[in-house]
Amino acid sequence: MTLKEKKETRSALLFASPWVIGFCVFLAYPLLASIYYSFCDYSVLRPPVWIGLRNYTNLFQDEVFYKTLSNTAIYAIFALPLGMLVAIGLALLLNTKVRGLAVYRTIFFLPSLVPMVSLAVLWLWLFNGENGLVNIGLGFLGIKGPNWLSDPEWSKPALILLSLWGTGNAMVIYLAGLQDVPVQLYEAADLDGASPWDKVRNVTIPMISPVILFNLIMGIIGTLQVFTVPYVMFPGGSPARSTYFYTMYLFDNAFRYQKMGYACAMGWIMFVIILVLTMVSLRLSEKHVHYGGGA
Amino acid sequence: MAQSLAKQNRSRTAAIHLVLMVLSGFFMLPLLWMLSTALKPIEETMTQPPTWIPTRILWHNFSDAFTYGRDTLGYTPFLVYGRNTLVLCILGVAGTVVSNSLVAYAFARLKWKGRDFAFAVTLATMMVPFPVLMVPIYGMFKEFGWIGSFKPLWVPAWFGSAFAIFLLRQFFRSIPMELSEAAKIDGASEWAIYWQVVMPLAKPALAVIALFNFMGTWNDFLGPLIYLLDQKTFTLSLGLQVFQSQHGGTQWNLLMAASAIVVAPIILLFFFTQKQFIEGITMTGLKG
Amino acid sequence: MVNRSLFPALGLIGVAATAWYSERLTAPEVRPGPVRITYWEKWTGFEGDAMRAVVDEFNRSQDEIFVELLTVSGIQDKTLLATSGGNPPDVAGLFGPNVAQYADNMAVMPLTEFCKEAGIGPEDYIPCYWDIGFYKGEVYSLPTTPASTALHYNRALLKAAGLDPDRPPKTIEELDAYAEKLTKRNGSRIEVSGFLPNEPGWWNWSWGYFFGGTLLEGDTITANSPENIRAYEWIQSYTKKFGAGDIQAFRSGFGNFSSPQNPFMSQKVAMVLQGVWMYNFISQFAPELDWAAAPFPHPADRPDLAEPTLVDLDVLVIPVGAKHPKEAFEFIKFVQSQKGMELLCMGQRKHSPLREVSPGFYEKHPNPYIRLFTELAYSKNAIPAPKIGIWPEYQAELNSAFDEVYLMRKTPKEALNYVQARMTPLWEDYLLKQKLREQR
Repeated sequence: MTLKEKKETRSALLFASPWVIGFCVFLAYPLLASIYYSFCDYSVLRPPVWIGLRNYTNLFQDEVFYKTLSNTAIYAIFALPLGMLVAIGLALLLNTKVRGLAVYRTIFFLPSLVPMVSLAVLWLWLFNGENGLVNIGLGFLGIKGPNWLSDPEWSKPALILLSLWGTGNAMVIYLAGLQDVPVQLYEAADLDGASPWDKVRNVTIPMISPVILFNLIMGIIGTLQVFTVPYVMFPGGSPARSTYFYTMYLFDNAFRYQKMGYACAMGWIMFVIILVLTMVSLRLSEKHVHYGGGA
Repeated sequence: MAQSLAKQNRSRTAAIHLVLMVLSGFFMLPLLWMLSTALKPIEETMTQPPTWIPTRILWHNFSDAFTYGRDTLGYTPFLVYGRNTLVLCILGVAGTVVSNSLVAYAFARLKWKGRDFAFAVTLATMMVPFPVLMVPIYGMFKEFGWIGSFKPLWVPAWFGSAFAIFLLRQFFRSIPMELSEAAKIDGASEWAIYWQVVMPLAKPALAVIALFNFMGTWNDFLGPLIYLLDQKTFTLSLGLQVFQSQHGGTQWNLLMAASAIVVAPIILLFFFTQKQFIEGITMTGLKG
Repeated sequence: MVNRSLFPALGLIGVAATAWYSERLTAPEVRPGPVRITYWEKWTGFEGDAMRAVVDEFNRSQDEIFVELLTVSGIQDKTLLATSGGNPPDVAGLFGPNVAQYADNMAVMPLTEFCKEAGIGPEDYIPCYWDIGFYKGEVYSLPTTPASTALHYNRALLKAAGLDPDRPPKTIEELDAYAEKLTKRNGSRIEVSGFLPNEPGWWNWSWGYFFGGTLLEGDTITANSPENIRAYEWIQSYTKKFGAGDIQAFRSGFGNFSSPQNPFMSQKVAMVLQGVWMYNFISQFAPELDWAAAPFPHPADRPDLAEPTLVDLDVLVIPVGAKHPKEAFEFIKFVQSQKGMELLCMGQRKHSPLREVSPGFYEKHPNPYIRLFTELAYSKNAIPAPKIGIWPEYQAELNSAFDEVYLMRKTPKEALNYVQARMTPLWEDYLLKQKLREQR
């Protein structure tokens, strides 16, 4: 190593030191400690007691664990693709060079700025069975709206619908991606006599596929951790645990039931699920994601 | 032929506008409804058919929501929550800007062994969900004696976050290396280059991560929920939740007013910083 | 040039000042003079005012200790968080059913020694209330205000339905018959309901006891006993009468408990199970309401279950890790005195958990049914929540089962068998871990 390299490495270490500390203290240590605790009976107030695999064997027999897992999966399976569809759809509409783009963009984007707790409170009111705007609107169309908040069949759809309202964030990302697609590609497609739909399918989607993949992965990570909105809207995951999500159960185990080892085991299972899903998305996308020059 | 094509085009544009306007309606109605409810007398929130414009506009709903509980608590809750949130935002934003710019500088502008690997690890940490860390971090802050203070909510911001490092690194890399080389020839230290060359050029990116951190702190619910104990130390998000759970279903007008109080500053901020917002969000999605 | 280097320095100072300020905001006040102890209480409104009056009285009565009262919502979770976070208050006002979990987790101090010293013992209290704080041979909490529950009914609605308002239902069967007569419907829309088992919905776990069931016998979970199943069948009979969808629609029009839109006060529900506090809310929000209270009905074939009453208690505990336990107990002791207790109970308009009351207590008491509530507390069918360390989970499970039954998604038997199957291993696991912990 030359002197210059040595010097540069030293200053690099200095510059990176906040993150080195942050990584060790706020990530590596908790992650390792979490593994250890997941094999313990632990309640913070008392030292952890090693109990081997018991937390895990209990978890795999815990029906509420499966219930929250399936609730979360159902929510993710609908909310994620629907959200992406809406976001891409809006972005495509806005990308048609309509006038007033900035105004529309602002309108679609604004809801995604609403803080989660306000969002939850607002939609509690909108979904109210008697006086809520949603059912009033449905009534206007001659449909008798369901009891969104007290009917276990409708509580998850309510949350999914609500999540679509906040897709403006993703829409802006797609819009930026769309604007980067070279115009020549569309012109070439026009010469081939492609229909608008063909252009979307064969030009637009492949060109923005890296953005879609990135959003998908971040979406998976975020959706699996859904907490604040259902916690505020549906205390205890009511009605009949239909909105009891994974992170809510984890939180309850950790802080209400003082089963912190159990909570850590749940955390690790969640982490593994995220890892697997990310790997699978990356692997599956290899063939379909198009990394164009320059991007 | 040309005329009919133009006509077709015009009707297509009109159709798109129509669709966009209907959709805009869907996106705006909830916010307008919030505002409308917040200004109504309580009886009017339950009338059918509903009114969009209150028959009597009650501006004092806002002050009522704002000062609710002042008499029993001895302080104005939302004012105190707002102050707490602001303090956390300032400390968090400052920490984010300082720490992440330093770290990103090391990743973007310096050559060292293992840099790319370290960067890959950094990116991978974005996959670690907070719930898996929650319990040990809680235990750690307990040992520090920090539970019940603001420190768990802002100190970590001073030690970097993967996402902000990633964003800044991308930006730093787009600054020509020649600038650094030239400064170095003039005898500038790394620190001087960081501070006098890179940072001034990186202002837009710094603004973006500052904005994101601000939003994140303003929005955060789980953190304050587990670390803050005394109601006097609550943030706006947490305060609103307490307000909601105490009031349940009836005082919808006050609840909407309180909710609007939490939303308004963010929307205001957006209108002042639209460009950074859109740019920032754009940056996050690209080059994944 | 000066400005450029000045700017970051100013920024640094600004940040440091903010950090210092943020510490000030959360730091406990340190002042010379009396020992300051913090006391977390759940109540707001007039109940909070009553507690504040007692605290003020205590602070005035001596100058060694100063109690600072803080209002905390979600106290049962918040106190556990604070205690496990190592930063608990000196005194916390919990709910009675929390005590077992806190004690098992070593989150609260045993008060047995303190009590002995202060001469506080079971003989001073109405038995069921003393018993709530007594767990595994130790006293862990002492009462603040107690509550027993009774049937509250709307006399005007009874009259209008051709029922004798001076003869409330005595048996569950009568209750059902009354409810039938009181219910008014307009097509699928319910306008008035005679009775709803989940109004107010705070004690959905408790209905089994009204039919002679229990939730815990010794160390055995008894969720699916025939009595409990019978109770849940009774609950479901109301859904069958009304239709699950119609009840939900009806209930979503209910207002907040403490408001004029409360379903009982707005005359939407004619009969409810409510506690001693109900009188206050009625006098505040619906003073014109013509109402009365009577012991809750019992099943006709179980006369031995007459005069059932759910008893609940607000309690004071000293969390482990409290900085001034001794001073904290001084305050608790003051609350236990007849003077302190009656100031509190009169303020919250409840009865006293103490056996002895000062002369004129009942005469001065504004609630016309106050004697009924005291008598009910002595009933042999007083129902406290079971003392079990996994109560939060057990309760969540029972609430979920209640939902399932109420919404007709499961039969009572299925729902309770499920609770039984879920809670039994959980409880065994808990006991095992308790044992493991004790070995350490």
